[in-house]
Amino acid sequence: MDEVTKPAVAGGSLVRPCTKCWAQEATLDSRSHAVCRDCFAKFISTKCIKQIAILGKETRAPGGPPAASSTGASTSPRRYLLGLSLGVSSSVLLHLLNENVEFQLAKGRNAPFELTVVHIDVSSSLVPTSTSTSTSTSTSTSTASAPAAALEKYRQRYPRFDFQCVPLSAIFGLRTVDWSKLPDVQNINTTAPSPPSQDQNQQQEQKLRQLFDGLASAAARTDVLRLLVRHVLVAAARDGGCQALLLGHSTTALAELTLAETAKGRGFALPWLVNDGLLPVVEYEYHDSGTAAAARNSDGPAATAASMLVYHPLRDALRKELVTYATLTAPPLTALISDAPDAAVATSSNGGNGAGAVVSHKDLSIEEVMVRYFAEVETNYASVVANVARTTGKLVRLDNNGTGTGEDGNGARCGLCGMPLDEQGDERWRGELGEAKDDQLLSSSGRICYGCERSTRG
Amino acid sequence: MAPTLCAMCKTQRALIKRPKNHAKLCKACFITIFEDEVHHTITSSNLFFPGEKVAIGASGGKDSTVLASVLKTLNERHGYGLDLVLLSIDEGIKGYRDDSLETVKRNALQYEMPLKIVGYDELYGWTMDQVVETIGKKGNCTYCGVFRRQALDRGAKMLGIKHVVTGHNADDVAETVLMNLLRGDLSRLSRSTSIVTGDSGSEVKRSKPLKYSYEKEIVLYAHHKKLDYFSTECIYSPEAFRGSARSLIKQLERVRPSAILDIVRSGEDMSRLVPRESSSSCGGCKTTPVASAPAVEDDIGGCGSRNGRTPGGEMAAMDKQLIENEAYERLEIDVASTMARNKATQNEKPKDIPIRNGGSKAATRQVLGNCKRCGYMSSHDICQACTLLEGLNKNRPQIQI
Repeated sequence: MDEVTKPAVAGGSLVRPCTKCWAQEATLDSRSHAVCRDCFAKFISTKCIKQIAILGKETRAPGGPPAASSTGASTSPRRYLLGLSLGVSSSVLLHLLNENVEFQLAKGRNAPFELTVVHIDVSSSLVPTSTSTSTSTSTSTSTASAPAAALEKYRQRYPRFDFQCVPLSAIFGLRTVDWSKLPDVQNINTTAPSPPSQDQNQQQEQKLRQLFDGLASAAARTDVLRLLVRHVLVAAARDGGCQALLLGHSTTALAELTLAETAKGRGFALPWLVNDGLLPVVEYEYHDSGTAAAARNSDGPAATAASMLVYHPLRDALRKELVTYATLTAPPLTALISDAPDAAVATSSNGGNGAGAVVSHKDLSIEEVMVRYFAEVETNYASVVANVARTTGKLVRLDNNGTGTGEDGNGARCGLCGMPLDEQGDERWRGELGEAKDDQLLSSSGRICYGCERSTRG
Repeated sequence: MAPTLCAMCKTQRALIKRPKNHAKLCKACFITIFEDEVHHTITSSNLFFPGEKVAIGASGGKDSTVLASVLKTLNERHGYGLDLVLLSIDEGIKGYRDDSLETVKRNALQYEMPLKIVGYDELYGWTMDQVVETIGKKGNCTYCGVFRRQALDRGAKMLGIKHVVTGHNADDVAETVLMNLLRGDLSRLSRSTSIVTGDSGSEVKRSKPLKYSYEKEIVLYAHHKKLDYFSTECIYSPEAFRGSARSLIKQLERVRPSAILDIVRSGEDMSRLVPRESSSSCGGCKTTPVASAPAVEDDIGGCGSRNGRTPGGEMAAMDKQLIENEAYERLEIDVASTMARNKATQNEKPKDIPIRNGGSKAATRQVLGNCKRCGYMSSHDICQACTLLEGLNKNRPQIQI
């Protein structure tokens, strides 16, 4: 907080004046400063706008006039895609982006960007086929799913933006996943006992459910789910002609991500996962247009087509701050936000995890362990949380050759998570760890990363 | 129901579920594969050379006892040609070392290895009990860790030995990786995962042959080999970053047994991602004096059976320091990071803005030299041990009436 020197007159009559404006009663604590509601909200929105401004410079049309010129006729409008999990963080981000647009319009300027908001509906795909005990949605796909209904409320509140609800099964239409490297997925087409009457959509859902059933643990399911959601979001952004994908990760979420991916063996990919920037997108060629058909087995199935800017505009705000912020807007965002603490994380197979509920460790994911851990750290040592994300930001993005930055997308990438393959690390690991005969992990085909092997063959 | 047979020999009953990958093995096969894996680690990293004199840092705890036992076995089985010596440190903690040193003495007889015990009082003129008397229970692990690290090296030097092996296991390494991520200490992160520490500049090489061995498997090995070890934890051990990281690792291991090894793998890979210039990015280093107590000089401290945990309240101290740094940062215009971020994503040439604080992110590179007082390798003029001793000695008159 900027320590404003205390004005002589104002604040005198207040019991506990805001340490920022000295004009209002402080009701909140912001990073060990007592502040009023307005200053708190401004603090959070400033953190977001700062990042949006950086992105704005990044996405300025080449050769166009500086962003300062208000009538940027020659620059085509920026277009971003926001991944909305319906959780607190992404909802706050949506609200702040809307605020930003309204602010600009009120000043008589053009909208700084156009926004498409996409929610990936994972609700029907994650209910295990055996235990469909969940609350409402699982089987009846004819009625609108709960997320679609929830999204409708957002649409009404922010009519300016374009909202879409995309089922996770859209993943089968994408060519950014190398299905041939996912052993459990290859045969899904043949083994699926799907009744002939089912329509395409239901078949896809069925397929997805089988995919997740085939994974060994809750940890693996949550991991793969996160990867698939990311694929669908990137694809939606590309299809929509968006220049950047915005994600609602808070400082806390990025710290969780850092440690979770470390624990899953993806340390090498961390700079790509946690930092903002350009993410190369690899597409695989298939023999037929069939969805889960075998990818070409040769060495070069990939055609590195494109890349996508991925940004985390809330990277400087703590989760607890966003939770507070959600109560400060008028009307509060809390009415919109779904029950799950953070849908992006809490969507493992055991449903919306009751906060603090005792669950068997077998049903926990690595992500959930991290959420619990950082909830505690955030309460007492918020700056430590912030420092984790900042530290990861200093790590260098290496491509698989071990030199230079792989921003251009050269070099082999993992067929599942899309991150650079760490051939040097794989080699070393095989050498140092030795060949345990039963351990398939070490006889890697080299086309899928260490972390993804853990999750798929685990 | 027929009993499950061992997955390796397929003849004996499987009695052990390997903590590492849940493979079901019989006792003999477990012991064999445990030893084979350590052997592989040793050979693939070329840890030893024939005829080398190696000191085993022995605390009497499970890790070092297993290390001594495994090394003796492998040395004989594979003809390493090593001259193995047990080296113990006596910190002077009553009720802790007395018993564990007895264990080490018995180990020396059991493994027919010579034993050298070096006392803190001999080396520093202070026992840990005296240190605690002076500075209290908080923060004394820093002293213990710093003193111990040097003690092992000095003890080895006394014996004319240039290689010390320690019992650090995979859990310890994983813990250190997470701890350094939490502390934001990239330089330690990049150092902590390598199997050999102490580069060409240091006189004594250190290595950890059990780097890939799970703590639980070490316990199992000790149990099934009926090894004689001492299992009491340091009575002064407080909670801290390491404690926090440790409990996190235990939870992760329950969720996914491979997590420990996966963290080690991540740590190894990330050490290659650490930019060479930013040697120390810990929160405290930007503004000059570090609030948190001086951390252990190198990767992993050692505190008996559990590895040295940095002082209690360290997390709180760092949190405080970070908040202060942030307050200062607000007064600056953060040109550097904005530009760095721009540069990271677009390959445009950076705008010509003179950057006043351009170099502030990268702290000065540590240069390894020698302590002016004791000659021990240090990146400062006076090594940490000597700095700590100076502080202690100042207070001495007060307690020695």
